[in-house]
Amino acid sequence: MNPELDAPKQYSSALQVTPGFEDLIRRLIKGHPERQAIESGQVDAIIDPATGRSILLPAAQEALREDQARDRSLVRLSSDWQWEKDKDYRFVSCKGATSGSSEFEGKTVIGKRLWDLPFDNMSKVDWQGHRSELERHAPYRDLELRARDRAGRVRYFSVSGEPIFDRQGQFTGYRGTARDISNLKLAYASPQESTGIAHATLDALAAQICVLDSAGTVILANRAWRAFAGAKGCVGIGVPEGANYLAVCDNAGEGERVDGIAIAAGIRQVIAGERELFRHHGYDGPSGRPRFMLTATGVSGDGAGRVAISHEKASGREDGEPLPGLGYTVARRAAIASHAAIAKRAAVANTLLAAMPLEEYQRLEAGLEPVSLTFGDVLYEPGDSIQHIYFPRDCLISLLTQVEDHMALEVGLVGSEGMVGIPLALGIGTSTVRALVQGTGAAMRMEAGRFQLALQQSPTLQRELHRYAHLLMAQFTQTAACNRFHVVEARLARWLLMTRDRVRSDQFQLTQEFLADMLGVRRVGVTNAASALRRRKLIEYSRGNIRILDRKGLSAASCGCYRIVKDLFDAAQG
Amino acid sequence: MRRKRATGKAASPAVATVVVMRLYISGNAPNSVRAIANLEAICEEYLKDGYKLEIVDVFEQPIRALTDGVLVTPSLAKVSPAPVANVVGNLSDRSNVLLALGIERRAR
Repeated sequence: MNPELDAPKQYSSALQVTPGFEDLIRRLIKGHPERQAIESGQVDAIIDPATGRSILLPAAQEALREDQARDRSLVRLSSDWQWEKDKDYRFVSCKGATSGSSEFEGKTVIGKRLWDLPFDNMSKVDWQGHRSELERHAPYRDLELRARDRAGRVRYFSVSGEPIFDRQGQFTGYRGTARDISNLKLAYASPQESTGIAHATLDALAAQICVLDSAGTVILANRAWRAFAGAKGCVGIGVPEGANYLAVCDNAGEGERVDGIAIAAGIRQVIAGERELFRHHGYDGPSGRPRFMLTATGVSGDGAGRVAISHEKASGREDGEPLPGLGYTVARRAAIASHAAIAKRAAVANTLLAAMPLEEYQRLEAGLEPVSLTFGDVLYEPGDSIQHIYFPRDCLISLLTQVEDHMALEVGLVGSEGMVGIPLALGIGTSTVRALVQGTGAAMRMEAGRFQLALQQSPTLQRELHRYAHLLMAQFTQTAACNRFHVVEARLARWLLMTRDRVRSDQFQLTQEFLADMLGVRRVGVTNAASALRRRKLIEYSRGNIRILDRKGLSAASCGCYRIVKDLFDAAQG
Repeated sequence: MRRKRATGKAASPAVATVVVMRLYISGNAPNSVRAIANLEAICEEYLKDGYKLEIVDVFEQPIRALTDGVLVTPSLAKVSPAPVANVVGNLSDRSNVLLALGIERRAR
């Protein structure tokens, strides 16, 4: 029950006693604390000990009256009609904010029940449901009713009501509000209509069109796409709604492999928001004639759809035919760029792992375990048999070689672009170098036996690792020459840049002692070289924290060895 | 409008000193609204361990007011633990309320 609305009946009598209020207080209130509270204006009502009735003090009366006026005006503002019904659910009053009358479409509603009025969206069963709600004396919210006005226009109403009970708790009827929500309904209805038009339009197009969600699952396809289901040589065009198109591309069979990889990579970029449009031309192998064009367009908005795919046959398309070779290069580059992008996005991915096709990666994944490597950990000593291989994610591993009685010397550096334990990929089970963690971070580790098995099963892994082994050898030879011929300052610059490329950050932790070890010089040599670079404002360092300020300048200060190795890596990765 | 609030369950069964209170109010009258706000702030600050607060609107339950011997609203009754105590007014005098609830020693 709502005391605000019922309250006037209760305390109207209090108003009448106002003249003798002092007497009343004196008569009813004997205690000191109560008197004090009344005097300081902290009391709202006095309870009549004979009846339990509340006698409101004037200030509280005034406040409650204002409160009610406010409530009423809010009700008027938020609804078009306020009504009351008796216990037989017949309207006894209905005040309209706009008309001020109790008419509905020119006829009075007084004495009528809701279901006597000409609403046309409620079936018998619907009304029965509503009546049983009323019989349970339940409040109801936003009952939606539809009627046609005299001009024949469809109008919608939303009706809400609450039961009223009297003092004795007897049900006396309902009270509530109604709103005209026709404009709201129309606003809701139009997008549905436009969706229908969009579907029809899509179906009418000759191109195969579908929409994928963020996982690559087909959530919508047009008629032409569906008609392609099961067709051969079309890189998955026609996969049914609910199936994953990217998975189909990833696992495309012989003859579609290049197209599949390129398409999947391009679509993933569009889904990731790295590009808005991706276009791929498919070519006939032997003839080199264009076969199809696939376009992936980003879809913005709150819906599940992330990318729209359109596939068109190339026959009859003569304008701007690119050369097949170029097409392949574009596709290959897109695929590689996407892998690099995926690696970058995840910030922890290993480039070699990211280059694996999904299916092969999934096979490999079972044997991979994430590990955390800490600065100073030694993964292998020279001559150790290799127990595990490591794919660094965001850690950095130095490969060091040691000649008797001399300081260690770094010959190679492995980060997220590579793998530690490369001898195993070449069929050798022991390490010739010391593998020392010099940047704390995460890596994926795999047990040696499992790795060899995985390598046999995965031609892609073999190819990638052979390529990487070649790059690592190039790095070894270049470093060997560099250590012999170049000055410490240039070598330090090279080393800082190589570290930067691998940790993908301009800032890292290193002590000068450690640097001396890496470069195979005495500590004072490192100090002098680092000071020289700092003076030229290329780097800054304090307490083992090194920051590259000017990458271009540092590159110019380094010996050519950095560029040579970097170019090799860049070329290999597209 | 029956409002029952029971919040801040005892942290562990060992903490048995749940303060049980009843606050008598008159609908949305200004001092009643203020009393609720003041009391909730006090409970929040001092009675995190556990309390039970029943808010009785005398407009709705005049009989309760009568049987509980309520003289004015707003007024607060501490029901347990003993000793019982009463505070009248809008509870803006915090030290007075803390004294009545017997929690003035529990420093923040």
